Amino acid sequence: MMISSPRDIKSINPWQRLLVLAMATFTIAPFAPLIIQSLAFRWAWPNILPTVWWHEQRERSPFPLAWDYVFSPSSRVAEATINTLGIGIAVTLLCLLICLPAARVLAQRNFRGKNQLEFLIALPLLIPEAAIGIALLMIFIALGFAGTYAGVIVVHLIPTIPYMVRMLTAVYQGHGTEAEDHARVLGANRRQIFFRVTLPMILPGVIAGCLFTFLVSTNLFLLTFFIGQGQIITLPTLLFAKISGGALDATGAGIALIASVPGIILLMFTDRFIRSYPLAE
Amino acid sequence: MKNTKSRSKQMLLASTLAVVSWSSAVQADNTPGMFRSEFLKGNLGWEDVTAKARDEGSVNFYYWGGSDIINLWVDQVATPALAAEGVKLNPVRITATKDTVDVVIAELAAGRGEEQGSVDLVWVNGENFYSLKQQNALWGAFANRLPNSVNFEWDESDPRSLLNLRDFGVETGFQEMPWSGEQYVCSVNRAHVSAENTPATFAQLKTYLEANPGKFTYVKPPHYLGNTFVQSVLYAHNPDGTGAAPYQQSFEELGGEELARLMEPGIEYLKSIEPLLLGGASGKPRYAENSGELDNLFLNSEVHFNCKFGVFGNHNGLITGAYPEQAEEMIFPAGNMIKNKNYLALPLNSPHPAAALVAINYFSSAEAQASKLKTAGMPVGLDLWRLSEEETAEVAASAPPHYGVTQQQLDDNIAPDTNASLVDVIEATWLAVIERKEDKPLADIVAQVSGELNN
Repeated sequence: MMISSPRDIKSINPWQRLLVLAMATFTIAPFAPLIIQSLAFRWAWPNILPTVWWHEQRERSPFPLAWDYVFSPSSRVAEATINTLGIGIAVTLLCLLICLPAARVLAQRNFRGKNQLEFLIALPLLIPEAAIGIALLMIFIALGFAGTYAGVIVVHLIPTIPYMVRMLTAVYQGHGTEAEDHARVLGANRRQIFFRVTLPMILPGVIAGCLFTFLVSTNLFLLTFFIGQGQIITLPTLLFAKISGGALDATGAGIALIASVPGIILLMFTDRFIRSYPLAE
Repeated sequence: MKNTKSRSKQMLLASTLAVVSWSSAVQADNTPGMFRSEFLKGNLGWEDVTAKARDEGSVNFYYWGGSDIINLWVDQVATPALAAEGVKLNPVRITATKDTVDVVIAELAAGRGEEQGSVDLVWVNGENFYSLKQQNALWGAFANRLPNSVNFEWDESDPRSLLNLRDFGVETGFQEMPWSGEQYVCSVNRAHVSAENTPATFAQLKTYLEANPGKFTYVKPPHYLGNTFVQSVLYAHNPDGTGAAPYQQSFEELGGEELARLMEPGIEYLKSIEPLLLGGASGKPRYAENSGELDNLFLNSEVHFNCKFGVFGNHNGLITGAYPEQAEEMIFPAGNMIKNKNYLALPLNSPHPAAALVAINYFSSAEAQASKLKTAGMPVGLDLWRLSEEETAEVAASAPPHYGVTQQQLDDNIAPDTNASLVDVIEATWLAVIERKEDKPLADIVAQVSGELNN
């Protein structure tokens, strides 16, 4: 899939180069104004840069501004970050536990109603969170799950399972069962087959699935708010409370930047891992 | 059915217990609802409430968390002050109060009744209070039973009590406590508009816009800021010249035809300024979706005026960098600057009702209100004439500055809010006439939208 030997950028044709450049711009460009905004005090059109910067106003301000506020205990960024990461990791692991066997069956077995089942699994992706939030909350209240971490983790499984199942099903399908059959013929038991043969083979897919699950979980707002009853704060709930007025000020921009950090770190990590993975084609 | 039965059983049990332990009712605090019924009957002294509050230990306070300066006040002033009274304030910052109202109503529907909910205290007004009231989701008439209730005017014979007794025309019934009093104030960017060019009436605004087209817009109804702008237009264009007075009645009292007659000139005005609004020249006037967007348009000089609720909105905009450097307040529309209050309410299923009462009592003290005024720029919700001289002086000393106008000028131009039942009709009429451009007699549109609202 990937280009095995890195080619010189000059050997890529100009059109391709332009497209790569455009892609990079689209990816990086949104961050530039966000970073400037987070350092601004007053930034009005048509000025390209803020007329008053945060550090110029810092001494005069009666209250902590911009990053001073973001890093003050009042912003609750620390608590939200810990919650977001903790919930994200728990959701990812649980999701994996559920989806690995499910995807295997969907990929390798044929049974009646399989197509319908695959369609059903994708349904949560089609229904907006807002439409099911209240109904779910009532169920979770009845179960005694509302306002708890367990409740939030369980509700995050609803929109993440479809992604993970789809991803893992595709990975299983791509590999077939030959290698596992060989191992079985050679006398490996089921545990050995899974850990020594299957898992190494599908690991890049599993990592990619986990990445998506984690990113979806760490970006869910409405379900987190409803089921957490506002008491479990995560980076998205914090950010939404901040920008609900309709304007992104310096602290909003700061919180948005912090909210994107876990994803960026994870992306870099998984990218390196998948590139250097020996079984990667 | 089973639910009602068990509830009536509970009530029977509670009242039996109430008779048995009439004097030491606090000790029976394990029975959900016991504290509530005893408190509302007036059987509990304030010591009983504070003792139970310390037992409960914490209070979940749900409030709009979009303002850094309010968050800082809650964390740095209110939380330590309540901790000193043995109550841990647990601030829950929310995006929209409606979400919290939904949570309360869902909990009640799921059978989480008295003392079994999650919300102790919520910052509300208008529509959201009305929803809670409609759904019988409020705790009860507490607001006149706290020690700091003396800071408010409750005497109905005094017209000034209206802001405490009516929330958008809906009777508060002491089920919410005033928290802050706000006024619809417009700011002007002095970089573009000189003092003599500053409009004071809607006619002058139109003249200004004819010379400077596109330099004004308002928040789009049904946002409450847009509704408020429309209401002030209607007051000013009241054909009888009686301003806000007829708009204090409910829709049933006033009647659709009369309302349409009163609204006609105001709606005509709104239609006539459409081409002069931001983007109006190209035939597509742009209304701001919320106050944040309007702040941005104002900061970027796309508009020269910014109208929103906030006696100290101009000051707050300057210290947060949200307003342009030369922003000043203006008296507009003269005599029709709508004032209302926002409140603190307890939901019926508040899990820590005694602690919530202690928190509300603290929030209603002159000291807390003065510090909130000073650090968060939120006007006081209590009534100054009820305070002692020292307290009045403390509040006066805490007030942030005004820019270009005086507090007295703001006070002299107050108008009351519109009855909540009319607000819905007016908002729907605006959407029909201005947004959908329905070309029908106004009376027909009012009849049609009010009919739709009733169904």
